[in-house]
Formats: sequence, structure tokens, C-alpha cells
Amino acid sequence: MLKKGMDHGSKEMVEVIKNDYRASADIGLKRCMQCGLCTSNCPATRHSEYDPREMVKMVLDDNHEILDNPDIWNCFYCYTCQSNCPVNNSPCQVNQILRQKVLLKGGKSQRIYEFLAYGYSYMDFGVGSIPSDFFDELVKDFGEDYLQLKLNLEDIREELGLDDYNLKGNSLNEVKNILIESGFKKKLETFKDAVESKS
Amino acid sequence: MNNTKSKTLETQDIINKTRATKKQDSFSTKSGERVGVFICRCGGNISDTVNIQELKSSIDANFVGEFENLCSINCRRHIREEIIDQNLDRVVIAGCSPLTHLKTFQNYADPLNPYMVEMVNIREQCSWVHSDKEKATKKAISLVQAGVEKVKKAKALSKIISRTEKSAAIFGGGISGITAALSLANQGVKVTIIEKNPTIGGFMVKIGKVFSPEKLAEECSLCILNPIINDVINHKNIKIMTKTRLLRAGRRSSYFNLILEKDTSFVHEDRCIACGKCADVCPVEVPDEWNQKMTMRKAIYKPFSQAVPDVYTIDVENCIQCGKCEKVCNMDAIDFKLKSEIISLKSGSVVIATGHESYDLTKRPEYGYGRFDDVISQLDLARILGVNGPTLGKLQKISDGKVPERVVMIQCTGSRDEKTDGKRYCSKVCCMVALKHASIIKDKYPDTEVVICYTDLRTVGMYENYLRYVQDKGIKFIRGRPGEVTKINDKLVVRVEDTLQRKPMEIETDMVVLSEAIEPSEGTMELAKKLNVGLSQDLFIKEKHSKIKPANTDVERIFVCGTAQGPKDITDSVSQANAAAAKVSEQIKCGTEAEPPVAVIKNSLCSHCGKCIEICGFKAVYRDEEYISIDPMACRGCGACAGSCPEGAIEIKGLNDQELFAQMDGLLSDKKEGEVRILAFLDNVGYTAADTIGNNRVTYPESIRIIKIPSINRLMPEHITYAFDHGADGILLAEYPDECMLEAHKAKIQELSDYVASKGIASNKLRFYKAYAPHFRGLAKQFENFNQDMLAEKGK
Repeated sequence: MLKKGMDHGSKEMVEVIKNDYRASADIGLKRCMQCGLCTSNCPATRHSEYDPREMVKMVLDDNHEILDNPDIWNCFYCYTCQSNCPVNNSPCQVNQILRQKVLLKGGKSQRIYEFLAYGYSYMDFGVGSIPSDFFDELVKDFGEDYLQLKLNLEDIREELGLDDYNLKGNSLNEVKNILIESGFKKKLETFKDAVESKS
Repeated sequence: MNNTKSKTLETQDIINKTRATKKQDSFSTKSGERVGVFICRCGGNISDTVNIQELKSSIDANFVGEFENLCSINCRRHIREEIIDQNLDRVVIAGCSPLTHLKTFQNYADPLNPYMVEMVNIREQCSWVHSDKEKATKKAISLVQAGVEKVKKAKALSKIISRTEKSAAIFGGGISGITAALSLANQGVKVTIIEKNPTIGGFMVKIGKVFSPEKLAEECSLCILNPIINDVINHKNIKIMTKTRLLRAGRRSSYFNLILEKDTSFVHEDRCIACGKCADVCPVEVPDEWNQKMTMRKAIYKPFSQAVPDVYTIDVENCIQCGKCEKVCNMDAIDFKLKSEIISLKSGSVVIATGHESYDLTKRPEYGYGRFDDVISQLDLARILGVNGPTLGKLQKISDGKVPERVVMIQCTGSRDEKTDGKRYCSKVCCMVALKHASIIKDKYPDTEVVICYTDLRTVGMYENYLRYVQDKGIKFIRGRPGEVTKINDKLVVRVEDTLQRKPMEIETDMVVLSEAIEPSEGTMELAKKLNVGLSQDLFIKEKHSKIKPANTDVERIFVCGTAQGPKDITDSVSQANAAAAKVSEQIKCGTEAEPPVAVIKNSLCSHCGKCIEICGFKAVYRDEEYISIDPMACRGCGACAGSCPEGAIEIKGLNDQELFAQMDGLLSDKKEGEVRILAFLDNVGYTAADTIGNNRVTYPESIRIIKIPSINRLMPEHITYAFDHGADGILLAEYPDECMLEAHKAKIQELSDYVASKGIASNKLRFYKAYAPHFRGLAKQFENFNQDMLAEKGK
């Protein structure tokens, strides 16, 4: 049996998440009525044990075990929960903040290691784009068409009268400098080292 | 042209002169007033702290007497005798709070006009809050003398009598409107029911059955409603106008001038005998609203068999005017030349009973309403289950006419939903409606499974009995709000998480029923706009006070009942309708006296700018055809309008300027060198809090001198100047933050603060305080701090 003593319990997690810069200013986290609409629509739920409703409940209960829950890494940020939630909560944002908390404590580096290529391609091109590391997977999923698109992208854009979207020269350097000065690059390396030194 | 100009100049001159004499008046004392002062010892409550002998001998008046218990009935004789013997024409009672006994002493001083009686509160504001006898006595003298000076400026006033016309217009002919109409008609009030549809009865005639938590059964709604409707038809005091809506409304002091438009139906209602031959020959077929568009009707039709009035009507929008019905009508009742009528109606009161609309379910496309045939609303289901409905009461799927094996109901569709197009509120009836339909289905089709997906089941009060009754029939409940209804392999699938089991699931079903929200109707909003009635945040008609005035609107003599005011069931609608009728009746029978203070507009000075209309949160000021007028019944005499009037055309009858200046003068004139004096202007709530300080014997400094005002809006910059010029060290303005006057308060605080700043007076000398009756200690603290700050300032 769960015994509840007279201590009021901490609300630390809720407050930290509500005040995180990633959370929308009017996030309805505390208004969650546990209706489960998020879970019923969640594509990650359909393919894993991830339950956004329960994640939010654990946050509201200040249950730190949620940080060790492997299922929170299955959310892939489709934002369906956010666009459906009847009280304007965003389980998706809550998830991002939780994950960041885990990573900053040095845990689960493996989970971000898989995505490090995104960071590096940001450094290289100055824009967010799908890194070449994933090409093989995408070709497997979408077929030859994807390869053709990727190879001929610049020609296609030119044909459509669109500019080159790659940053160049000073602009690219500026973005790079910002990413270095702000510690972005250092963080990428920390995660990389953490995983590679283990293996 | 010249003539007009000179006239305007003349008028301006008069205003200036009036203002000038007003000012002069306040500085000179007119002779001839004979004031009697009656001091109450209050059985020691006052006399133990205040030296009554000293007080008595220090007051300058035509008569000063002391009494042990002035409120006792034998003192009535003393007061009357002295008034006659001493030829007094005004009276000061020095004793307790006017909140306790003003009415008593106005009565005791009966030969005099009640406004010639001034009460000086030397108990709650002196003997009970000060302990130093010498200081308390000095303060008492100052308070009483100020009362004498004030009462010298008092003017006799009479109550304002306003007679409300003995008639009422009721907008909406649903259960609420019908109930209110019948109650009023039975009390002899002439009632007109104005209904936009071709028939009265509203939603209740459509829903088939109603839930009864008492009998634990579903009762036939038409059987309950029909006798009431018959009473309405046959009542000599009720007139029903269908297909009619409000065009314009004009407000007068005792009635509303309503301009109505009755749409033509091309049918002489008095000739039609409802034989139905016309509909037989009509070639036009359109979806029938009565059956939620699940069946067809003709362009000439009677909405349903028991429709009232019992006549056929032509849907002008869809009629092709082929003339077939005209030819076949034996009664000569059809006439395509009939035009819409404009009707003027004079009505003492208005009741808004315009009801609600059902939530547009296509705004929640994820549930598939309109996309999948067998996703229907609860109202659709009500029609299907109705014996006079499209399937004559048989539960059938629209897609194939088969009885569903499973029905999944989705609660809160559009309700409790903060998303775009959602309604934040709980629609209150849907849990009961779902249970009612589940109960009917289980009775008739025991093999059909009913699943209700809910977030919270709200079967409040006695309705819990009904829940238990339906639960016993074997309904399946899933606690979870579905995210989607989709079709997989030709079967409907509801995606929902069973949150109690932490199990996301897909429920296969062949029928889905959405429990649609109740939403405010467009017609209600339009009507509110024309009548200048306020709406709530959720766009229902806003009641004047949700706790104590639930049937009043913010406009005097306009009332509201039923779902026009917010989601509610039939029981609550009927209660509120009766309450609205009682309020109309009260208005007609007793609500005819208004007491000052009230604001009055001098039409000759008014320039019709309308600033007063804008500032009045009580909506007491309105524009009729010729003038801007103030409804004395709605006016609180707060003075906001007078402050906003650029022409000085508004006078507050009740507390005049001369009285105010005289009282300030009196409270400041005995101030000694080095002493601090703070004038505290308190509204009724502030004054009550100050009395409570006394009742609890909490102390505060003698320097605080209280002046009772109707509202801080009553105070103008000249009052502030006057107080500072005559020795006030500080001024405190305390008022209860009444919601509907918040803007006016803010503007007033700004105005006075700016004014004080412009005069180079330190901002901490003029303070504002939000008064709450139970928080008297806060006010006492405010007094204490203000005094200390001003003392410190003196010390510098």
C-alpha cells in the first residue's frame, strides 16, 4: 500500500518544467485532467510502452522515476498531443524538458548519440537538414526516388526558381562561431566522448 | 445663426454663474436653519469614554440634549416634542452608526424630511476605538459640530417613484420562456412570447424523453410539455408571436419600446385549419430540421404534429411559389402577396429565454461526424429513439438500417476543451443525457452493448441515484477521452486510453454517439446587442450576480432564464424561469421606489455627448429618442457620470457639494498646531469595515476622521483641494472594488492622482485602499500607518 504521510511532497518537477524556456508560457500542465486523449492519439504509444498521460502524472506527482523510464525516449516530437490536449498541456514539451534533464545529468548519452549527426550537420551547413548519415535508411524507406531527389536537389531548386538554401561565407562562419561560443559544439563533443569512451 | 450662437453663450454664462454661486455657497453659512442635537449615552457605551457634559456644552446649535438610550421607543416622543417645541427644521443624532439606526431616527424625526436627519457616529468611530477620554471627547465635539454644519446644508429630498408597465415581452418559446410566460400571465401580467421559429416548444419537444432521478425512469417530454403549452395557448394574458424577431429596442424609464419583425409565411394563420392538403401537393422536398435532417419535409409544412400554433407555414427560402398549395387550399389561407410585418410593442419588462444551440460537431473532425454515417450526436439519437422520429423509435444505424451491436458514446465533445472552437465550460447535461439514452437502449435492445467514454461523470446531487439505476442495467464505462474515431476494414474504431488500466485501446463499434456541447446561440448574442445586455466570457447572457441575482441581467428590467444564461437542464431552466417571472412581478408590484443618492440629468445643459453612458457600469444611463436619461432604479448615485460630464449637467441628489464642504470644514476647523488630521472617505463597504473596527474594539488614532460617500467617484479634484487647503494632512479613499465599476474607479484614481501631482502635493498624502467588509483589521492598519507617516513628516 502507498502510504501518504503529512509531508506535502515536492512540486519541484512541475515548477521546473513550467518555468523552463522550452515550455509555452500558458502551458496547462497543472490543469491536466488525466483524460488520456494524448495517449489515445500517440503514434509512439502504438509502437511502444510510452504513455504520455502517465508521464505527465508522474511529473505532477513529482515522481523522479520518470527520468529513468526508457519509454520517454520513444516520443518523436510529432506534437499531436500538444495540438489535441483539451487543457492546453503539451506532453511533448514536457518530454523534451525531461530528456534534457537526464542528458545534463550525464545519463542516457547513447540516446542522443544517435542524433548527434544532426548537430554536426548544423555546424557544417548552418541550417537544419537531414544529415547524410541517414541517407541509407531513407533510401531503404522511400526507395530510389529519395536518392534522385537528394542528388538533383540543387538543379530542381534552380528549375523552380528557388535560391540556394545553403549558407555560405561569412554567414556560415557566423553561425559556426555562435555555435562554438554558445557551447553547442562542446556539448556535442561531450556526448560523443561519453559514448565512445565506453565502447 | 447668430441667435443660436448668442443662446449658447448665454447658456455657458448660466453654467459659469451656477458654478460660481455653488462655490460661494459652500463658504458662507445661511442663517435661519434651526438644528437640534440629540446625544446618546448608549448606556455607557459612549458616555464611559466621551465626557457628555463637555460635549453638550461645546456644541453650537439651537438645541442640545442628552439621552440614555436614544433608540428606545420612548425617545421617539422626546425627539418629536423637541422638534415641535424648539421649531427645529433639522436634526443631528450623535450616537451609533447610521448603518444600524439611520432608518430608526428618520422615523423618530418623522415631522421632518428624512434627509434632514444627520447621524454622527461617536460610538463606532470614537468611544469604541479610542481610550484616551480627553482626546475622545475633543474628537466627539469636532465630529458632532461637523454634523451640525453638514445638516445645515441638507436639502429635503423625496423618494423617486417609478412605475413599471404591467406587461412583459419574453424572447424565446422554449420551456424557459413558456414557464416564465405562464407564471406572469397567471399573476395578471400581459405577456407576449416572441419566438423566431414557426412553433414554440424549443428543444424539449424534440428530445422525446427526459430523465427523472425521482422516479428512476425516462418520462415522455411531450406529455409533460403539452398541458403547459395548452395553458399558454388558452391564456387570455398571453400572446404568441412566431417567426418574429427583434429589430430595435428603445429604453424608457418605465418600459421598453420594441420594434419587432414578423416574417411572412404566406399563410393567414387565422384561416389555416391544418388539414395538410397543401403539403400533399407541394413538389419541394428539403431536409427536416425536426428530425435532425434525417428525413425530408415539404416547403409548406407543419414542424411536427403537436406544433403550436397549429398551422402550416411556408419555408420562404425553399418555396418555388408554384401555387399548387394555393389552389388546393379550401380555406383560402395561402397568399403569396403577404409581406413581413413590422410591429411595435410596448413592454414593461423583458425576459431573455432564447435558449442555446448544439455544438457544431464538424468542428471536431477527428470524430468523423458528417464523414461517417454512423457517427451521430446525442440529439440525433434522441430523434432516432423518439416514437415520433425518423425510425418511429427503432434504434437503427443510418448506414444500413440494422440494429447496432455496440454503441460507443463520447462525452465532452466540444466541452471542457480549451482548443480553438472548443468550449471551456462543462455543458452540465451531457452525462445525464448519455445515461438516459443508454438506459433506453438497454431496455429495448438488451443485446446491444453501450460503452460510455468519459473524463469525469458529473451526476451531481440526486442525479447520482439515476446513475446507479442505469449502472444496474449493465453499461460499460471507460475512463478516457477518445482521440479519434476512424474506420478500419469498414468498421468504426474508437481510439481511447482506458486510463484506469493504463491501456491504450481501439474499440470496434458500429455506432458512435457524440455528446455535443451546449453553446450560446447566435440569436441570443444578436438580441443582447440590441438590448445592450452584457455577455459572459463564454458569450452567454451574463447574470447580474451569479450568487444573489441569478435571473437579473446588467440592465434594469431585463431578466434572463434557461440556457440563454448558461448550460443547464430542464429542472434548472424552469427554476430560473420562475425566478425571472418573480423578479418581473416584484418590479411591477413593489420595485417602484428608488432612494437617493441618485444622479439626475438636467436636459437643458446636456449636450448628448454620451460620456456618462460609457462610464456607468450599472448601465443606468441610456439614450432614448430625445434625451439621455438615468434610470433611478439602476442608479447607485456613485457620481461617476457627474465626474465625466463636460457640461456639469448631472447632479447627484443625496449628498450635495455644500454638505460635503461643510462636513470637511467641520472636521478640520478645530485642528491645533502640530496636530495631524486625515480625512477618510469611505463607501458603504469601507464604512461597514470601519464600524466593525469599532465593534471589535480595535483602536486607531484620533486623527482619522471619516466621511461616508456613495463612491470615490463622487469626489472631484475641487473636493481634494478643499480638504488640503483646510488643513487635511492626508486623504484616504477606500472603496470595495465592485467589478462593474472597476474601469471608472481606475479612471478616478488616475484623475485624482494626476491632479494632486500637478498641484505639487506629495503622492503619499492621497491614498487609495480596497475595502473588504470582513477585513476590518486591514483598514485599521491603513489608518495607523497613514497617521504614523504623516506624524513623521511633521517631525521633519
